[in-house]
Amino acid sequence: MVSCRSAGLLRPGGTTGIHHVMQSATASKESFFQRHYFLFRRLHSLTGILPIGVFLINHLLTNSSVAWGALALREKTVDAPWWVHGAEYFWREVRWLNTQIPNLLLIEIALWGSILFHSVFGVYYAMTGSVNTARYAYQGNWRYRLQRISGYIGILFIFYHVATLRWGWTFLVPGGTVWSQEFAASTLALTLRGGSSGVTAAGLAVSLAYFIGVTLLVFHFANGLWTAAITWGLTISEASQRRWGYACTGLGTVLMIMGWMSLFTFAAADPAKLREMEERMTQKQAMVSASPIAR
Amino acid sequence: MSTATAPVRRNAKVGRHVFFRILRCEGPGKPSQWQEFRIPIPENANVISCLQQIAANPVTTDGQTVTPVVWDAGCLEEVCGACTMVINGKVRQSCSCLIDEYAPNEGDVITLEPMSKFPVVRDLWVDRSRLFHNLARVKAWVPIDGTYDLGAGPKETPASQATHYVLSTCMSCGCCLEACPQFNLEPDSANWDTAFIGAHAISQARLFNDHPTGRELKDERLDALMGEGGINDCGNAQNCVKVCPKHIPLTESIAVIGRQTTMHAIAQFFRGR
Amino acid sequence: MSQHRVIVVGGGLAGLAAAVRIAEGGTPVDLFSVVPVKRSHSVCAQGGINACNEVARQQGYSEYEHFDETIYGGDFLADQHPVLEMANWAPRIIDLLDRMGVPFNRTGEGYRDLRLFGGSLFKRTHFAGATTGQQLIYALDEQVRRYASEGKVHKYEFWEFLWPVIEDGRCVGIAAQDMRTMQIRAFRADAVVMATGGCGLVFGKSTNSVICTGAAAARCFRAGVWYGNPEMIQVHPTAIPGADKLRLMSESARGEGGRVWVPRKAKDPRAPKDIPESERWYFLEEKYPAYGNIVPRDIATREIFDVCVNQGMGVYGENQVYLDLTHKDPDYLTRKLGGILEIYEKFVGEDPRFTPMKIFPAVHYSMGGLWTTYTKGSYNPHTALTKHKSGSPAPIDAKVGQGMQLGAPNNSMTNVPGLYAFGEVNFAYHGANRLGANALLSCIFDGLFCGVSVLNYIKNEAPGKNPADALPAGAYDAVVAQETAKMKRLLEGAKPGNAADPSTNPYVIGKELGDEMTAACTVVRTESRLRQCQAKLAELRERFARVRLADNAGWTNQAFGYARSIGDMLILAEAIALGALERKESRGAHYRSDFEQRDDANYMKTTLARHQGDATTVEFVPIDASLILPTARTYGKKDSSPTRPAKEPAAV
Repeated sequence: MVSCRSAGLLRPGGTTGIHHVMQSATASKESFFQRHYFLFRRLHSLTGILPIGVFLINHLLTNSSVAWGALALREKTVDAPWWVHGAEYFWREVRWLNTQIPNLLLIEIALWGSILFHSVFGVYYAMTGSVNTARYAYQGNWRYRLQRISGYIGILFIFYHVATLRWGWTFLVPGGTVWSQEFAASTLALTLRGGSSGVTAAGLAVSLAYFIGVTLLVFHFANGLWTAAITWGLTISEASQRRWGYACTGLGTVLMIMGWMSLFTFAAADPAKLREMEERMTQKQAMVSASPIAR
Repeated sequence: MSTATAPVRRNAKVGRHVFFRILRCEGPGKPSQWQEFRIPIPENANVISCLQQIAANPVTTDGQTVTPVVWDAGCLEEVCGACTMVINGKVRQSCSCLIDEYAPNEGDVITLEPMSKFPVVRDLWVDRSRLFHNLARVKAWVPIDGTYDLGAGPKETPASQATHYVLSTCMSCGCCLEACPQFNLEPDSANWDTAFIGAHAISQARLFNDHPTGRELKDERLDALMGEGGINDCGNAQNCVKVCPKHIPLTESIAVIGRQTTMHAIAQFFRGR
Repeated sequence: MSQHRVIVVGGGLAGLAAAVRIAEGGTPVDLFSVVPVKRSHSVCAQGGINACNEVARQQGYSEYEHFDETIYGGDFLADQHPVLEMANWAPRIIDLLDRMGVPFNRTGEGYRDLRLFGGSLFKRTHFAGATTGQQLIYALDEQVRRYASEGKVHKYEFWEFLWPVIEDGRCVGIAAQDMRTMQIRAFRADAVVMATGGCGLVFGKSTNSVICTGAAAARCFRAGVWYGNPEMIQVHPTAIPGADKLRLMSESARGEGGRVWVPRKAKDPRAPKDIPESERWYFLEEKYPAYGNIVPRDIATREIFDVCVNQGMGVYGENQVYLDLTHKDPDYLTRKLGGILEIYEKFVGEDPRFTPMKIFPAVHYSMGGLWTTYTKGSYNPHTALTKHKSGSPAPIDAKVGQGMQLGAPNNSMTNVPGLYAFGEVNFAYHGANRLGANALLSCIFDGLFCGVSVLNYIKNEAPGKNPADALPAGAYDAVVAQETAKMKRLLEGAKPGNAADPSTNPYVIGKELGDEMTAACTVVRTESRLRQCQAKLAELRERFARVRLADNAGWTNQAFGYARSIGDMLILAEAIALGALERKESRGAHYRSDFEQRDDANYMKTTLARHQGDATTVEFVPIDASLILPTARTYGKKDSSPTRPAKEPAAV
């Protein structure tokens, strides 16, 4: 027996005629948040695209270069497998990002601020909804539900991702690998494999976590991009929403493939060979830096 | 007086019995319980005609005599919206729910529940006052000067009429709200102005924002829709448009209001207030 | 200074129009409705709303011809002045609705589109798809919501009207019951407007909503309000049969070109598409070459009834005929009739754009209703004119106040001062038969035109000096006590299990009432059958006195509400049967096979029914027919039979 929902508005002797419409409830009573409700909601939507979405595209593009970098590398100085060349390209990309982007700190603050904002409000907004996919198993309803699930899991994943790779919470990394920026490729490979001695079960778990995290976040972004176009009123008709849906699916697919490619390549790569490449590149860079011409 | 026959659909078995499982509740705050009735199905039967049979002689499958089931109904031709309920787990009008389609075989089961997003009055009858209240939130009307003889209204192209007519067929049944994961039960009317307003009201705002005279209140409607419980609380699950019995393009209306609020916010930012 | 208030009972088109008009005039309105007003039965009106318009006018049509058609269509039973005023107001009402945002269908240039409707040779019917009533009531509902949010109208939804409070010979309020909490209480008002619609449920299955019991009108009748022309019940020729109700198939289907036919061969087993043109009997077109399929409803109904019941020519030998639209462009049909075609498809499972619909008549509308008065307007010719020749110049223009005097306090007022009847519950406008698309008009006309009368009554008559606010509570308490006692009596001994005895089961009594009334008091009536009906009604009344309910709940007791209505419907049914019995002639919807001719000398009179004590009596009172002289109402009928094919295909 379930309890019947109570009808608070049905007071004996009362009437349920039309309630007088509140004339935009007195401003003094409203909180700062309520007064700027629209702004917060739209900022939440916007931050998902800019900067977070843009960063995500860039991040996956950079990382996936380990898989396709061999094709892009202009000169191959050593004879090595394709993924070592890819990792070399990736090394160069990372170095370029870290040294050539102006005001990197400001960008990072903006990015982290946005992620924090998007997460906090995202969770808050998601809490206002309910789940009814069992009764209304429409594709759109499933995406609605998945958007919220992917948001929750995405937050956890990002936290893990950053905590282990940035903040050095090595106790969460199998084999205790310390990720370092100069040796990004090899330490990442070690992390995903669970240590230097082949692929371990713990490593597999980490890889799986990455796979799920990346997949859900890419879905979250692509689907978010689709709903944002409705939220902002860019796509109006059902047809335009469908067309934009194809576009978002396309973008999501490309990003998904990039994410999976980077994951598989890093997880499959021999960390020792990557380390070798990184040391070679670091040395080479030091020489270039030491050269007076370079200044 | 009418004895004309309609074709039996989907080879539904003639002379069969169907089980109705009905979620009953004696009143607000009382417990709910399932009761089952076995009903002989006449020709052209729908859920309403079966409920009428139950009302005339309410005896459950296990032989217990009970009170008649209470439900809300009006036109019985799917134009008034009254008889909306949850049938086999999905919200719809019970008048247009034909037994031949839902239960073509002997012993088939049909479940009836009250809508879950509105307070139950009794059995299958719910109080949908909030739905109407939300129409007032967006001032869903044309602010005419009065009922005096002041000449014709504005001219309109057939294409624009076709758009408006569809929007205007909304019968306030509440299907879009029942299926919406963002629209939740809110028995306390004090919270109605900040709880999600629902697709039906957003669509009506679009209709009246588009009317040459209704436009006069456009800013007020958009202001209301930009606040808490307004357009931004839509989660784009788009169940509303799927369950709308009148095929109203509700998601299109939501997008239109999305655009209007975007433009309104920009205009407000620069125009100041 | 005390504030006047007006009560409007009923939230359909008439009630909402009245509420808007009265609230606009500055008097607060308490609006009572058994359902949320937006769900009132007006939503079921499909075809459209008639009014003279510029296009028709330039073809020779006029408000006067609309008036003439309505009188002729009603077979000269209506007092003529109110009808004239209504026809004159029609174009103003369309303009107003247009301004309120009703999405009327449009022509290519953006003007309001028009369609042909029964009883006219001119296109004069404005429409919004095939759900015109819905669109009209929504427009008025929106205006009322606006006034409600401004506090000028207070809605009491799910409240049922129980009894008028009559004190010192005038109506000063009502008793009503909240059908959820079951609370009964009295409400004071300086005037009460009854706008409670028709009584289709008296006939069991009809095209009406389940709320159209006629109980509110019956309660007024029992309280001493006179009832006019109770026997005038319209049976609509085209409805879709169903187990719970008979769904209307709008006259607009014929107005847009729909053709009624049966196979010339009785019980022809072929599918309609396999029957060639020459073997189809378009009996309406052959019998009425000028009007064809759009003859008025009573005529079409009788012809269909005759073809099926008397001649046994119904499709597949059943009581059904084809209503065929398949010769029209499917897209055109979707645009013009989408709403009703969808209803047919939904409930029958066939697409009427490609398969002819199978239809049969069903009870639809009550021309009769509470008897009302009016003050004649300024148009009073020395002698009544002969029937208006279609398309000829109108003898008068359409200025306000020629038919009824605007603002006269007694317009649409019943015999009880302060108690008004608007819309279908007002007997005034449609005589013995209502023309299609005139109902929406009469509802809104009453609300707008006579709403002013209500305001003037409050200001200038009894309530002005002696407002309801200041009256002693005695009369109100007495009515509440009476209704509480009634409830107590009905709930006495109520318990699950009572339903097993059909003789005291209210649902069984209700069903038997419907079956009996449909059999005796619809298309064809005879003295013997009516007397049998009266006996049956007496039996049902006796059983109702012993009625036992299966629900004793003190909360939202629907069985109780239904049972109470049955008691009132029985009274109304008696008035209908008695009127039908006493009117020994045939006129409009009232067809007596034992008195086939119209008898103007004795019966061009209003049937005035009164209920006193426990008895209903009728008498015939003269009408005012000083504007148009009665003529035979034939619609140019010719002979036709299934065995004699028309020489040339009948015109569509």
